[in-house]
Amino acid sequence: MKKYKMCMIPASPLENVQLLKDRVLLPYVCYRLFGESFSIVTQSTGDYPYLSYLEGTDFISLPEEQPHMEAAVSYVSGHSQDIDLLFLFGARGKYMELAHTYKSLRPDGVIYLKLDTNIDWANAYPLHDQNFSVFLEDCDIISCETRKLQSFLYKKWLRPVEYIPNGVWYPLYPEAGDVQFADKENMILTVGRLGTAQKNSMMLLYAYALAFPSLKEPWELVMTGSVTPEFQAEYDRFCKEFPPLAPHIHLTGHISDKQTLYQYYKKARIFALPSRGEGGSPNVFSEAAIFGCTVLTTGVDAAPDMTDNGRVGRISPDPEDVKGFSKELLSLCQDPDYLARNFHEIRSYMRAYFDYERLAGRLRSLVELQSLKRRRS
Amino acid sequence: MRIITTDTCVSLEEDGQVFTLLEKPALPDYSNITKRPYFSVYYSEGETVWERLSCSMAKFADFCRDDPYLGCYGLILRRLYPMLLSDNRAKNLAAYGAGTDCMAYRVIQDFMTFLHTGSALTALAPSPFSLTAVSPGSCAALLYRLDTFPAPAAVCDAINRIKSGGLLLLYTVKETVPADLAALCAKAKKDSFGPCTLYSLTVDEAVMDFAHENGSEAFVLARASEITRRADDLQNLVQAMLADTALPDDAWFIAVTILQQTEELLLSLYDYLENDELPVHANALKEAVLNCYVEMCRPCGLTAFRDKLTQSSELFFTAVEQEFLT
Repeated sequence: MKKYKMCMIPASPLENVQLLKDRVLLPYVCYRLFGESFSIVTQSTGDYPYLSYLEGTDFISLPEEQPHMEAAVSYVSGHSQDIDLLFLFGARGKYMELAHTYKSLRPDGVIYLKLDTNIDWANAYPLHDQNFSVFLEDCDIISCETRKLQSFLYKKWLRPVEYIPNGVWYPLYPEAGDVQFADKENMILTVGRLGTAQKNSMMLLYAYALAFPSLKEPWELVMTGSVTPEFQAEYDRFCKEFPPLAPHIHLTGHISDKQTLYQYYKKARIFALPSRGEGGSPNVFSEAAIFGCTVLTTGVDAAPDMTDNGRVGRISPDPEDVKGFSKELLSLCQDPDYLARNFHEIRSYMRAYFDYERLAGRLRSLVELQSLKRRRS
Repeated sequence: MRIITTDTCVSLEEDGQVFTLLEKPALPDYSNITKRPYFSVYYSEGETVWERLSCSMAKFADFCRDDPYLGCYGLILRRLYPMLLSDNRAKNLAAYGAGTDCMAYRVIQDFMTFLHTGSALTALAPSPFSLTAVSPGSCAALLYRLDTFPAPAAVCDAINRIKSGGLLLLYTVKETVPADLAALCAKAKKDSFGPCTLYSLTVDEAVMDFAHENGSEAFVLARASEITRRADDLQNLVQAMLADTALPDDAWFIAVTILQQTEELLLSLYDYLENDELPVHANALKEAVLNCYVEMCRPCGLTAFRDKLTQSSELFFTAVEQEFLT
């Protein structure tokens, strides 16, 4: 099989933390599987310590004198022969010229666009703009992160859109391999920017409060992540209002040390995602799931994919329905057999469908097909 | 471009160039006939056909002054004129491509009603479905704006709505016609002035044959048969995969290629599908085949992929059967 010279160009200058997220990890795993070389081309935003996880990556800093995308277009104009497979992230208008430049210089090359979108964004794409339509045509493979969105885009764009979820690169999580259900505690965990409108953290707090009197055993609620001042104030008021609950709810603040965060995943039996919306399945879901946490989520676009349609997790569809979320939470807390069984089920499910190495394997075949098609035409 | 009407002549004029649309017939007593030679039902008194025609042309000039298709409307009425006056029968005409509120169509309708109260010009909504709503072979003429729907299948669908011996009037302000339609347009009478061109095609047997072969019905049937043929091939392949039959190395690749082609065929028929999830089902089956292939190359001992392949293939083949074979 052919080895490809791969290149990832972000729409905006890349930050260190993004190196270990889907926009870079999936291309990187592709490189490990079928790449001859892999470069990340971006303007620099500071130091990149996470590059140490991505052995073999060629980090190319674009000049700062011109706008990021202008510099990227110049780079591609001069280096198209070094790129057989170009990774783009997000259907951004600013990519239009870049994609077109690459395709005019390398009609045999392949562009893979990972959409990173949700239905609201997808509905707002300027399809009436001829240049945007050309951009979508320039992209040989387009993937989105949820099946719901895939179905929507088929109908809207009338072109194939692959389903490639945000996954996990297991070598980054060696601790997940030796986690045991017996090590777990009665802990409900949530991770995110607490207090933001999107994360809907207050709903979880009240759902927990509603379930609390019916819990046969004590369950701890651990909320991890940076806290907005508004949420801190709400939390303080909540603790005063419900004093018996206060000792069971823990705000850890932002945890930058991954090992510490993984300890929480190891201990938690339930992972709660009360979000109002997510672009695909969030990274915290994948992390929680590979540590064997059963996921309770609202009806975000990716909810059916994250839970295999409710088999390996629970969905409370309406993010404003505190009672509904509380009911599901209580039902999980009172079903230790399901949690024990699901510890294995969700981990197998993740291995099968969210492992970046498997997803990259599938992508490889799609790239081969496109490449063949391009060569023929 | 302007339309100039005089007592004896209607013409188009642009940049000093003149194109004569119609001249008043030289019948000695024509202008004295209240209506027209062939017709017995008189609609209004004192207005001759020629006067009404001149008036219609003047309305084009007035209402469609800034319309780039003004010249086309003049050319259309010129070609319709002898047909509308050919006998004392009500005429059924349709127009497609300019929307339902085109002023020029109203003017033509008015002229037609003047000649025969039962005549109608139906302006169709700009959607391929509105053509299928017209009975086949029911129109004496069909006015077709080529620039809006240049696809040969749509033109053929339009021809299929015209009765034998009727007229297809294709009009455009573009310099060239689509390559696929060049042969058809070569058979037509071509009137051209300035940027406006009108192709008048009499629907004879040869034209009808061409339209039947290239219309959307034939297209859909041909595609549907391609899809079912591919589905048959796929079914055999997938069954062999699930039965662990020894397969050539490239069997997986062939299956995925067939599925990708099927996806594209299904998308090309999307407007006609009853089950609009069919292309997604094809994609899900492709995904399941690829997942099994990846598992074969890098085994992780999970049976989930096989189960998923079974599920996805059942879903897809059942949907294909329901859509195309029942």
